[in-house]
Amino acid sequence: MLAVVAAPVAALSGSLRPGLAAPVGAGIAGLAAVATLVGWLSGGGAVDVAWAPSLDLRFAIELDGLAALYSLLATGIGFAVLVYSSRYLPLHLEHEREATGTSDPGVRFYFFILLFMGSMVGLAMAQDLILVFVFWDLTAIASYYLIGFDRHKEESRASALMALLVTGITAVLLLIGALVFYAAYGTFSIPELVELTEPGALVTLAGGLIAVAGLAKSAQVPFQFWLPRAMAAPTPVSAYLHSAAMVAAGVLLIGRVYPLLQKSEVLLNALLVIGLLSIAVGGIIALTRNVMKQLLAYSTISQYGYVVFMFGLGGEYGAMAASFYVIAHALSKSALFLTAGAVTEATHETEISRIGGLARRMPLLAAASGAAAAGLAALPLTIGFFKDELLFDAALERGAPFAGLALLAAVLTLAYTWRFWSGVFLGEARGHAERVPWALVAPVAVLGSLVLVGGILVEPFAALARDAGAASFDAPVEVEPAYHLEASPENLLALATYAIGALVILSRPIWIGAARAFARAGELAGPERAYNAALRGLNRFSDFIHTIEVRDLRGRVATILVPSGILVGLGILATPSGDVYRVGEVTGDDVPLVLALAAAAIATVAIIFTKKHVTLVLVLSSAGFATAVAFAFFGAPDVALVAILIETLITLLVLGTLKLIPRKVLESGARIPVRQVWRKGSVAAVAGATAFVVAWGTLSQPSAVEGGAAARLTELAPEAHANDVVTVILADFRALDTIGEVTVVALVLLGVATLLFRGRLP
Amino acid sequence: MILLISLTIAIIFGAGAFLILQRNLIRIVIGVILISNAANLYIIAAGLSRGEPPIYPLPEGAQVSDPLVQAMVLTAIVISSSIAAILLALVYRLYVSHDTLDLEEISRAERRAAERLDSGESLDDRESSEGRPEREERP
Repeated sequence: MLAVVAAPVAALSGSLRPGLAAPVGAGIAGLAAVATLVGWLSGGGAVDVAWAPSLDLRFAIELDGLAALYSLLATGIGFAVLVYSSRYLPLHLEHEREATGTSDPGVRFYFFILLFMGSMVGLAMAQDLILVFVFWDLTAIASYYLIGFDRHKEESRASALMALLVTGITAVLLLIGALVFYAAYGTFSIPELVELTEPGALVTLAGGLIAVAGLAKSAQVPFQFWLPRAMAAPTPVSAYLHSAAMVAAGVLLIGRVYPLLQKSEVLLNALLVIGLLSIAVGGIIALTRNVMKQLLAYSTISQYGYVVFMFGLGGEYGAMAASFYVIAHALSKSALFLTAGAVTEATHETEISRIGGLARRMPLLAAASGAAAAGLAALPLTIGFFKDELLFDAALERGAPFAGLALLAAVLTLAYTWRFWSGVFLGEARGHAERVPWALVAPVAVLGSLVLVGGILVEPFAALARDAGAASFDAPVEVEPAYHLEASPENLLALATYAIGALVILSRPIWIGAARAFARAGELAGPERAYNAALRGLNRFSDFIHTIEVRDLRGRVATILVPSGILVGLGILATPSGDVYRVGEVTGDDVPLVLALAAAAIATVAIIFTKKHVTLVLVLSSAGFATAVAFAFFGAPDVALVAILIETLITLLVLGTLKLIPRKVLESGARIPVRQVWRKGSVAAVAGATAFVVAWGTLSQPSAVEGGAAARLTELAPEAHANDVVTVILADFRALDTIGEVTVVALVLLGVATLLFRGRLP
Repeated sequence: MILLISLTIAIIFGAGAFLILQRNLIRIVIGVILISNAANLYIIAAGLSRGEPPIYPLPEGAQVSDPLVQAMVLTAIVISSSIAAILLALVYRLYVSHDTLDLEEISRAERRAAERLDSGESLDDRESSEGRPEREERP
């Protein structure tokens, strides 16, 4: 709750004094984390308010295990990241200022990161698919501004757009999935859906759509390409979005709807395959990356591949292990990202090959991030050991081949983690290193020590993960991670991981070529190319439509008339038309009206064929007068009188205009080629046909409603002391409208006078 | 009767659409006027009843025309005449500034002016370079 109000508060304090935004934001994040912890320990709570009852929407949130886990991650790591950025951001902005010469207090950074945190907490607690969708899009919007924080850089903007498009377009699938569920079961509420749904094609379809949204947000194959690009963001953003928030939101969604996904074997197998592919693609490319943040980004893809893989494995181990993995990964990975930021701040380098041997110069940072790296690589005495233990447990439960795949995945993790940490902190000292402020090191130290604490005192973390797993699994989960000093299969697999991992690290020269070739092939033929091609194609298509539409006035008119004609035509075809159209009877009394209408139509058609301008005016006015006569036979003498006055006025106006303009000019462009006549004629025919169908359809509807508005108005007229009902309506019932109309006429007079006298009123 | 009215509306609307698609500005304005005519006819035909004028004393037993649509159409007619007046004044202004009523020529001239603006020349240069300063206003 607290986190939801945090963003406006921080923005407000920031706008008052730029220096105030950071401490206020961090304070609120810390408070929110404590509040979530207390809420979880006291057994959670739920709020359920009708939001839009007519649409069956409810504002239903509940602090269950899953919500507690992700809220704690979002607020806790958010707190660490905010403390970090209170020092990092001024330095970052300093660099940017030097580069561009613009000054920017950076308050919007706090606003958006807190907005992100708030919507993440909301997303974690939401129990209603539509509410999930709303928070989901809020996170997408906040991430757009965060990734594109350095808005003067084109790369930043393109990356932000890519992240927004990939996650935003797939978010629509989430909405569609939710609507499919609603259409079938009449509710958006996830717990209700879990009880109602039966395994079948519908669950597979809708659940699959929702899962795709989650996978795209978690940067799984084939949507993985946006994540490395998003590294263009400032480091705290990368650390936050890609460890605890944005990508976590994807697996959060999968965890939330997991009870639904579980009902479909196809979906579980798909998750398994996608998870494995992501582990492989992310892991192998991570081994080849040289830029620190890029390596970490690909490692994130791979790590979330694990989580998806474990969800795919299924069973209580799968659900619990996935949740535990998210905790362990978020702690380690955010620490490593923050390390990368601090190292870059100290050395002004981003590439691993250009730094090294920093362990001696930054011992605290090296130790803290060493702990985090060990956690990621699943060494004993860290929380990471248990994440791999659970991974092996879950895989063994499913079968030996899966255990082998899990082993390979763990080996990959070990290899690239070693590459990151050893590349930065070990080896020969290269480059210079400045002192970095304590606020850049302290959060890393805190997160690193949490990783270590988790390695010894695993119970609190395991309890949280069990609770979350129970929410995903929809049944209590009994899994106890602990050290077992025996030759159990899990321990043997862990040992095998270390052995093979060491081999892989030592044999780097042998396989690095192949890995690079793989990465290169991905760049050449990967989904990113498809994305770019699609984007360019859409752009061209939009340009094409734009040129057609706005080339000139006629084009614009035609682009309104023709498509609306086609749409109306389709609508008419789609509606059952029995008895809708009535011809209507013509009695002897109607003869004058028919004659007047015919005169109007004939005069109008004559206008088209008239060449001379004076004749044109005469025909126009006869068409107008014929219409006025028709009004008279409709039993509307007031309208007919006004129409005659107005037609006279228009005739005089047109005549006057013609008098002002020489004849040669008047006829400029009056003649058009025959081909154009045909084209314009067919557009006009479509327009006329549309008008005909619409008019006939509506006018055929029943007339004369007893006691309707017309009858009431007629009855009321004597009370307004007038005999003419139309006059009463205009001057009394709708008097304000009439005043507005008079104002319009006055303004038009002013406008015409201004135009005629070239802006200088006489 | 319904069919005949719809047909008339369609003819007037189609003719208006055809004229709006022309190049000559006067014809475009006339097209706008015709389309308002069609709209007014449509509104008045949409009245729920048709008969004697709704003026007291009401005739005994006979049906009275729907006064509501009449009031609407009255407003619409006045507004559409105002639009026609503004359009005609604009046409006159365009003739004064461009010496033509051909839409294509006007948009060509506009494009040329825009290009010149892009290349940094001011609008005053345009008028002197074309040797055609705006003509004096007429009384």
